[in-house]
Amino acid sequence: MNFSEKQISIFKGISLVSGLFTLIIALTMILSLVQLKTIDPLANPSLQSIKEQFDRDPDNKDKAEQVRAIDLMARKAYFTSRWQVETGSYLLLAGAVVFVFFQRLIAGSEKPARSLQPDKPDINLERKRNQRYLIIAASIVTIMAVTSSFVLRSNLPAPGKSPAAVTENKSSEMPDAITEFYKPGDVNYPFFRGEGSRGMAGGTGYPTEWNGTDGKNIKWKIAVPKPGKNSPVIWGDKLFFTGAVNADCEIYCINKKTGETIWTGSASGFPGASSEAPESDAEAGMAVPTAAASKNEVCAVFGNGNLVCFDHDGKLKWGKNLGVPHGTYGYSASLVIYDKLLLVQYDSQDKITLSGYELGTGELKWETIRSGRPVNSSPLLANFDGQPQLLINGNPNVSAFDPVSGKELWSLPGVSGDVAPSLAVNSKMVFAAQDYFNVIALKPGKAGATVWQDNTFTPDASSPVANDKFLFIATGSGDVACYDSEKGDTLWSHYFEEPFYPSPIIADDHVYLLDRAGVMHIVKAAGEFQLVAESPIGERTDCTPAFSEKAIFIRTNENLYCISNN
Amino acid sequence: MESKNKSRASRRDFVKTAGKIIAAVPVLSLPIVLTKKTDVKGYVWQIDPYKCTSCELCTTSCVMTPSAVKCTNAFPMCGYCDFCPGFLCQGAKIYSTAAEDQLCPTGAIIRNFVEEPYFEYTINESLCNGCSKCVKGCRDFGNGSLYLQIMHNLCVNCNQCRIARMCPSDAVIRVPAEEPYIRKELKQSTSPVIGKALVKPVPSRGYLLRHGKGKQLT
Amino acid sequence: MDKRKRTMGKRFQKYLPFVILAVMLIWHSVLYAQQQRFPRPEFEGGYSFPTHQFLNQRGPMWEYMDVAVLIGALLVTAWMVLIKRSRQGLIWVSVFSLAYFGFYRQGCICAIGSVQNVSMALFNGNYAIPLSALLFFTIPLLFALFFGRVFCAGVCPLGAIQELTGFRQVRMPKSIERLLGMIPFVYLGLAVLFASTESQFLICRYDPFVGIFRIDAPYTMVIFGSLLLLVGIFVNRPYCRYLCPYGVLQNIFSRFSVKHVTISPAECRKCRLCESGCPYDAILQSDPEPYVEVPKKSLKNSLIYFLMIPLLASGFAVILYNLAPSLSVVNNNVKLAREIRLEREKGIKAVSKAAIAFFESGKTEDELYKEELQIIGRFKKGAPWVGIFFGLSLGIGFFRLTVRNFRTEYVPDRGRCYSCAKCFKFCPVKVKT
Repeated sequence: MNFSEKQISIFKGISLVSGLFTLIIALTMILSLVQLKTIDPLANPSLQSIKEQFDRDPDNKDKAEQVRAIDLMARKAYFTSRWQVETGSYLLLAGAVVFVFFQRLIAGSEKPARSLQPDKPDINLERKRNQRYLIIAASIVTIMAVTSSFVLRSNLPAPGKSPAAVTENKSSEMPDAITEFYKPGDVNYPFFRGEGSRGMAGGTGYPTEWNGTDGKNIKWKIAVPKPGKNSPVIWGDKLFFTGAVNADCEIYCINKKTGETIWTGSASGFPGASSEAPESDAEAGMAVPTAAASKNEVCAVFGNGNLVCFDHDGKLKWGKNLGVPHGTYGYSASLVIYDKLLLVQYDSQDKITLSGYELGTGELKWETIRSGRPVNSSPLLANFDGQPQLLINGNPNVSAFDPVSGKELWSLPGVSGDVAPSLAVNSKMVFAAQDYFNVIALKPGKAGATVWQDNTFTPDASSPVANDKFLFIATGSGDVACYDSEKGDTLWSHYFEEPFYPSPIIADDHVYLLDRAGVMHIVKAAGEFQLVAESPIGERTDCTPAFSEKAIFIRTNENLYCISNN
Repeated sequence: MESKNKSRASRRDFVKTAGKIIAAVPVLSLPIVLTKKTDVKGYVWQIDPYKCTSCELCTTSCVMTPSAVKCTNAFPMCGYCDFCPGFLCQGAKIYSTAAEDQLCPTGAIIRNFVEEPYFEYTINESLCNGCSKCVKGCRDFGNGSLYLQIMHNLCVNCNQCRIARMCPSDAVIRVPAEEPYIRKELKQSTSPVIGKALVKPVPSRGYLLRHGKGKQLT
Repeated sequence: MDKRKRTMGKRFQKYLPFVILAVMLIWHSVLYAQQQRFPRPEFEGGYSFPTHQFLNQRGPMWEYMDVAVLIGALLVTAWMVLIKRSRQGLIWVSVFSLAYFGFYRQGCICAIGSVQNVSMALFNGNYAIPLSALLFFTIPLLFALFFGRVFCAGVCPLGAIQELTGFRQVRMPKSIERLLGMIPFVYLGLAVLFASTESQFLICRYDPFVGIFRIDAPYTMVIFGSLLLLVGIFVNRPYCRYLCPYGVLQNIFSRFSVKHVTISPAECRKCRLCESGCPYDAILQSDPEPYVEVPKKSLKNSLIYFLMIPLLASGFAVILYNLAPSLSVVNNNVKLAREIRLEREKGIKAVSKAAIAFFESGKTEDELYKEELQIIGRFKKGAPWVGIFFGLSLGIGFFRLTVRNFRTEYVPDRGRCYSCAKCFKFCPVKVKT
């Protein structure tokens, strides 16, 4: 196609205009896109700040109006920017097409230029040059091959080893026979749910009838100095529990026979501890985890991260702050002691660990990072395949750790969601439960598996308890159920009206079920429902009771009671 | 000289023809080699709602603007709650369509009263940008009926979906083009918590090949 | 206790303080309960559950329509270039291809990307390649085998957009041309490696023009594409010459083509006018008569060149084998495993979304590391072959420079000529019908 000079100049003009147009649009779009990248209109800082202000003061009508106005503006900005980008792109394309079209017309009509040809190459010279290039290339390649073999040594990971430190302390206090392990003594009740924190209390002759209001069988009653949701623990004649008001944390030692306060220890003011309480709710408080007692020491941990260890005479051995555990509803995992190591299950939004501290000095011996999400359950000690294990009901796995080295032994799929109940174990199986999920019975170990699961009766906050024949569950809606532990059949269930938050304890072949209204329902630990007694304490309770030497210790919101027949 | 040239020429021709045949062989044999591995119907990309962790990357990962990912409500699974945890923020005092209590940043969820005490929640797709805030709320506190799907009237079906590449939980998979959507109300949970001991059918190689699952079978 | 009588909201509010008291920590649950939290409502007013109507894209059978259009366009281009010898006709075919394969089909699926699909299908047990992708791969290569690079000439939308915006012609010096011309080989090798280990589709990720075709792309992609086109105004077909991995295959196949475009419609007058017209320097000169006998010395040289080929191949194989672990980092799983290991060993927190999802999933670290080793193993198996490919390409390239047939006329370099027909108007020979 040939065009006249005039037409060509017109084309040049049009293409210039369209080219400039395209360029301008392109620049404006780039600017707006860069701006969009820096501030997302839907998440702009002014909207965030006004929303935060509103969250802190939700009843303020003015603030609500402000949030609405800014939110509307943000949405408008977002949709306008989207529209702008879209229209801009089409305009850009249109401008570019016009430009290209007219340029093509111009280019198409140009006469071929007769440019000077480069000189004919000399074949031999070319050959020599190529030879040189080839030798250079070959030498470079060889050198690189040799150097890369030495420099780029394979940096592959060693096949699957979790890098937790291993300390070689072998336990000397472990009973040999497994049945011995699972049979608790009748004096010490050292952890949240007794020995090993498994929910079994040793000894016989525990009272079944009492009344908190008229004092029947109530041996002594003292007022709780500071509130807390933790259960009492007992070693020998001493009973320990903790309380806290914000950052003011205390641990109390009571004579379990007379109720007299022996000493009060302060667990506040450690380096790293903040003077204000973390932002958890006020209702549960800072003293939720139960203390742990051993022969010479008693340890406690609080919701602001303070971890303390006292000796039985009230002297502070060591204390530290673990860092405030951040969680919506606070820190709740109770402590466990195994053979000179204090085992701390730490669950926070940014860190989930199991750590072992030297009991005498507080030195951190090892820290194992756990996988999954934070939970509110407490750990317990079990023994499978002759190996003592610390079990944690995690999310989404049930995991077992070596209590001496902290190494993870095995991990099986368990429950998920808000995991508050701790595990139940018997000598062969592990039971995990969670309210919005189900109850899962696992055969533990590396080759373990789910044996059965059921979702008819699931516990809310109370932890289930099991012996070799039965599994007992107390739900948050007032039901108590008994499952066959091996097969999972529901053997019986009974509806008690009040919800159960304290965990059931098996003592003396009876299951002691304490509901939130303070009534202890005592049933036989059997395959048929047999209610033995129902004894009220007269106050609201959330804490699991402690058992020792024919006496039951119940902590209510206000008081601590000792119930005994003599 | 002439004869030498001629023989050289014919040798050259022979080499050329041989080269043509050698080159043709791999191209022609490729379809034969791959017959077992060829799918006639084609694939599209889709989000597996049980693997999704609501990481909010779908909005920005899609090559299209706005993202081809939209939220949808599985009505048979919905609880029709007054306090819909996917619609309202946690801690909302009033259960209404007030902007200060809504989770959705673009206001794409429409709340309709059905009967006491049930409310119907539908998504206005032209406003939804696939941010999955409502999905997270519904999953954490509700029935999990709100879920994200790649809408195929918007998706351009890239060879490698950018969302699939960016997804931290590998939730975006290839599905047969004939069943382009994974309806959550029809799909069983793929939760691995339903133990290893329970009999769970392992997908056969044939199934995987037909459905183009990209993961390696171990 | 008849809970259903109360509203769901009140129920939730009632539980809220209990939940607080009971120290439950509510977190995300990745895995769903079969049992729902809030039971299905029973409607009294006759409400029925609506079903969401999901919209569909064009039916899968339309992909075959694209294959048919592909074949048609290839035939028309071949006819335009070989028989009708019209550059104008080729331009129109290019416009059509740009409109159809580019803007209408939005540049996906294209023959260049199909390389990745084929590699994934060949080296991966679980992937079944869609038939249309396979056809998009093989059909242009078959046409190249018969007619030369007609695909590049008028059918490939990326080639078309470059062809249409190439207004000026600036020639690159031969050495730069040769050097940059090595990039497509590297690109092809890496693309095949990454695709067959399922790490990434490299070609699709760095396709400069697909953003323009979709009229919707992150601005970085559009800037890259537009800059490339701007460069292409002067240095024509920059993507085709210096980046396109499929071009490597087209190059190889076209060398053996049965019929190929010729510069002159009849005999060549050796006037050298066509050389100035080809922007790609793809025209090979004729040799001066009389024919010069190849001396024995250069025969020995040729042998040395020939022996260099295996040396280069093995050298590159070793280099790539050693590079394999570093290359494997493009794989998401390997990247995640490294991040987790870094956190365990050095305490640098793993904060990426993939790490968070991994921690929440309950997958063990052992499993992750096992996967990582598996993937690195596959890289180590594949990378040496890529190295061999590099070495062979480089070696054969050099070898071809030394061994050359005696040419009596000006012919296009069958491998590199795009059959774009720009040279036609320069040739003074006009066939009179």
